[in-house]
Amino acid sequence: MFLKIQDLKKSFGQGENRTEVLKGIDFSIEKGNICVLLGPSGSGKSTLLNIIGGIDSPDSGVVSIDGDAMSDMKEKALTLYRRQHLGYVFQSYNLIPNLNVKENIEVGAYLSKSPLDIDDLMKTLGIYEHRYKLPNQLSGGQQQRTAIGRAIVKNPDILLCDEPTGALDYHTSKEILKLIEDVNSKYGNTIIIVTHNDAIKLMADQVILFKDGHILKEYKNETKVPAASLEW
Amino acid sequence: MKNPLNKRILRLLKEEWGKYLAIFLFMVVTIGFVSGFLVADNSMLTSYNQSFEKYNIENGHFELYQQANQQLLNELKKEDVKIYRHYFVEEKTKEVKSTLRIFKQNKKINKVCVMSGKLPQNDHQIAIDRMYATNNHLEIGDNLTLKNKKFKITGLVALSDYSALFSNNGDMMFDAVKFGVAITSNKAFDDFGQSHLHYSYAWRYQKQPKNETKEKNLSDDFLKVLNSKTVIKEYTPHYLNQAIKFTGDDMGSDKAMIVVLLYILIVIMAFVFAVTTNNTIVSEASVIGTLRASGYSRKELLKFYICLPLIVTVIACIVGNILGYTLLKDVCAGMYYGSYSLPTFKTLFNSEAFILTTIIPFILMLVINVIMISYKLQLSPLKFLRHDFKRKQTTKTLPLKRLRFFHRFRLRIIFQNIPSYLTLFVGIFFANVLLMFGMMMTPLLNHYQSEVEDNMISRYQYVLKAPMPTDTQGAEGYYATTLKAMHSQSNDEISVYGVKKNSDYVDIKWKNNGVMISDGYSDKYQLKTGDTITLKQKYGSKKYKFKVAGVYHYPAALSIWMNEKQYQDTFDVYAPNGYFSNHKIKDIDDRCIATTITKDDLTKLSRQLDVSMGQMFYLVDAFAIILFALLIYLLSKIIVEKNKNAISMVKILGYENKEINRLYLTATTWVVVISTLASLYLSRVVIDAIYRAMLADFSGWLTFYMPSTIYIKMFVMTMITYFVVSITQMRRIKKVPMDEALKNVND
Repeated sequence: MFLKIQDLKKSFGQGENRTEVLKGIDFSIEKGNICVLLGPSGSGKSTLLNIIGGIDSPDSGVVSIDGDAMSDMKEKALTLYRRQHLGYVFQSYNLIPNLNVKENIEVGAYLSKSPLDIDDLMKTLGIYEHRYKLPNQLSGGQQQRTAIGRAIVKNPDILLCDEPTGALDYHTSKEILKLIEDVNSKYGNTIIIVTHNDAIKLMADQVILFKDGHILKEYKNETKVPAASLEW
Repeated sequence: MKNPLNKRILRLLKEEWGKYLAIFLFMVVTIGFVSGFLVADNSMLTSYNQSFEKYNIENGHFELYQQANQQLLNELKKEDVKIYRHYFVEEKTKEVKSTLRIFKQNKKINKVCVMSGKLPQNDHQIAIDRMYATNNHLEIGDNLTLKNKKFKITGLVALSDYSALFSNNGDMMFDAVKFGVAITSNKAFDDFGQSHLHYSYAWRYQKQPKNETKEKNLSDDFLKVLNSKTVIKEYTPHYLNQAIKFTGDDMGSDKAMIVVLLYILIVIMAFVFAVTTNNTIVSEASVIGTLRASGYSRKELLKFYICLPLIVTVIACIVGNILGYTLLKDVCAGMYYGSYSLPTFKTLFNSEAFILTTIIPFILMLVINVIMISYKLQLSPLKFLRHDFKRKQTTKTLPLKRLRFFHRFRLRIIFQNIPSYLTLFVGIFFANVLLMFGMMMTPLLNHYQSEVEDNMISRYQYVLKAPMPTDTQGAEGYYATTLKAMHSQSNDEISVYGVKKNSDYVDIKWKNNGVMISDGYSDKYQLKTGDTITLKQKYGSKKYKFKVAGVYHYPAALSIWMNEKQYQDTFDVYAPNGYFSNHKIKDIDDRCIATTITKDDLTKLSRQLDVSMGQMFYLVDAFAIILFALLIYLLSKIIVEKNKNAISMVKILGYENKEINRLYLTATTWVVVISTLASLYLSRVVIDAIYRAMLADFSGWLTFYMPSTIYIKMFVMTMITYFVVSITQMRRIKKVPMDEALKNVND
């Protein structure tokens, strides 16, 4: 298994205010798969994503990627790990306002020794003709495409998407999901999508349902529905 | 691949050009002035130091009551010194109310530097000191009448042994307005006669002493020999000669003060930069969180955020130094030429000035920004993504429930912006120290002048060369001598007076034991009733101990007062050597009068300080106001920008601009008012300490005085400045669009 999670626990607060967000999570993901973490708000899925992304730490348990346990990593090693293996896409696009589309993607490319061809990537993402525009001149969908471009230009092993369509309308959301699907098939990255949109589970290889810090259900889709055909 | 974040640097500069331009200009002017000052100071100081050899400046001079005979001169030569006749006469000028000390052209010792024009060629020509000429509006071609003889001014000169125009070495300050030096031809000099002739002799050691200690030992030995062979009227070795040394010492201390001033200002600017950068980091928290989550290290982000402050600093340093070496050097040299009678100088490249005004400001900027920005960037990527900037989770909030909503809101704004407000407080405090210094000096000097005038003992105060009787009505004899103080801080000369018990001029209630001391003496050395002071002879080794019996209000000089009997017993002198009189004494030959002290003599300190530094006080005030306005502008701008989102939101809720101004600007107003009031008190404490340290080096004392109206003026000036600047912030608040809040949600 490429990504392995074992008995992961995480809680916030102290004393009476202590809340267990992850109550012993175990699962694993194969390389190149799309995995959807599905569940209502507060179920612990985003916390799990942040732990996998190395920007939050568990109270106990192990996260290992390709055999390397993250708990053994110190601050610098974690930064290097994120730099080499991970790409992040958030609900809010977090683009740099005074850099244009191409430059925002270059910000991601800078982190890799062998980044993807930026022009080619922008064409794949459908933002090539907008490459000299600043983020405030783009629509929400175009901004999210740029954010995805910034995340995958370094060709990360894992692309972490936290509610990537949360701020988008139906059509744009479908476009973005299709894009993620295309990226997966073209570059072979493992993709983990956190969402509360039930329909998205159909495009995944693997689905993990969360509730109150537990895995309620975990299964693999025998047949995936293409993102373009998803409906909600 | 170059870091693409660097592409943002110029764009950020362009977006916030107003802020960066204001800081840049302030730094350019500050660095330019300091650089210009250091270059001028160093060049002039080098030329001043070289002048000792170039103009063959004396190792000292002594004055006798009569001409030295050949036997004395021969005996003195045995002491390995070369003696030069350096006679002078002192004459009043008719055209301007002043005294000129006139020398013959001397080509061997204390040579003259001709600044413009030429030296006198005939008996009706005179060359006068350049600064004395400037202060009295005299030019080449003008006439001066001395002892009823007209002289045409042919040149403006600098006498190498009078770089500071001290008429008397014991004076607290030189006087370049009512005292000057001049050169005439030998014949014209001899024509002045002997009535005001001073038998002054300069000497130079055959082998120059290597340091001041050796020079002092040589001088002490020479004084012993001289004392044993003749009666000395005046003895001034070079190292104690204020007319020669004061300039060099002052230049040295000015340099230290100006460099400290630069660093304080750079530190304040560095804090302003750091606070603004931290504010940018807060506003870009989501982006930083994303970049950190994607693998950007803290170091990479720190490098980016520190770039702009450093670029602005480097460019400001370069431009400032160019201005310093070109335009401002002459402005600063002009300030010295306005105070001192210095010879011409050649501009020298000064590597120390370059380091002090470029490398050190850069390092200060770097260190302060690295510390403050890296502290901010210590937060985890997740905290940046969540906009959670608290290091510790606070479980309690301040209980403000009882306060009205508006008050609560403003207090929250203050707590939210503590770093900005702290920087603002430090800036206001520093600006107020400068402002207070600039504003207090003129009233202090005026007060001193009026105090001296109001407390003059008599209209004329005569010091005789030898006791002489007079029939002048109301003239009252007194005894006077000068002793040297032996306090650790300095060795001031103290005037010791012996006056009649029931004096018509000196109103002292005598006590049985001890002496009265002037309030300036008491203030300078923190002396009080019951203390014992030890003084020594000026040119001898005998020591005297006096018990302080009280303080007498006499602001003109550091002095000790005792009754006639006490003076006679102490000094074994039984005939008065001076007169207090409200009428001019006409029945004593001028040749028997050593000095006549008038109002002009007593007020020369305040007069000269006003001439030398009067304009500078206004400059300091202007600088302080600019600093204050700049800080208010930058920091209140930060607060508005930081709350742009919230301002936009309250606009959506229906608040009017007026109400929003009340919410956001009133909080800043509170801080400004409280900081100003607190800093007025603190500035007073600091100024008091600075003033004491500054005057400790002067011989004499000016009692600290600051009218309470200055506090009011300062408060009003800072408030007016604040309200002018806050208008720009009101406009900024007005410009915040209502969709700002909505836009940021979607970002």
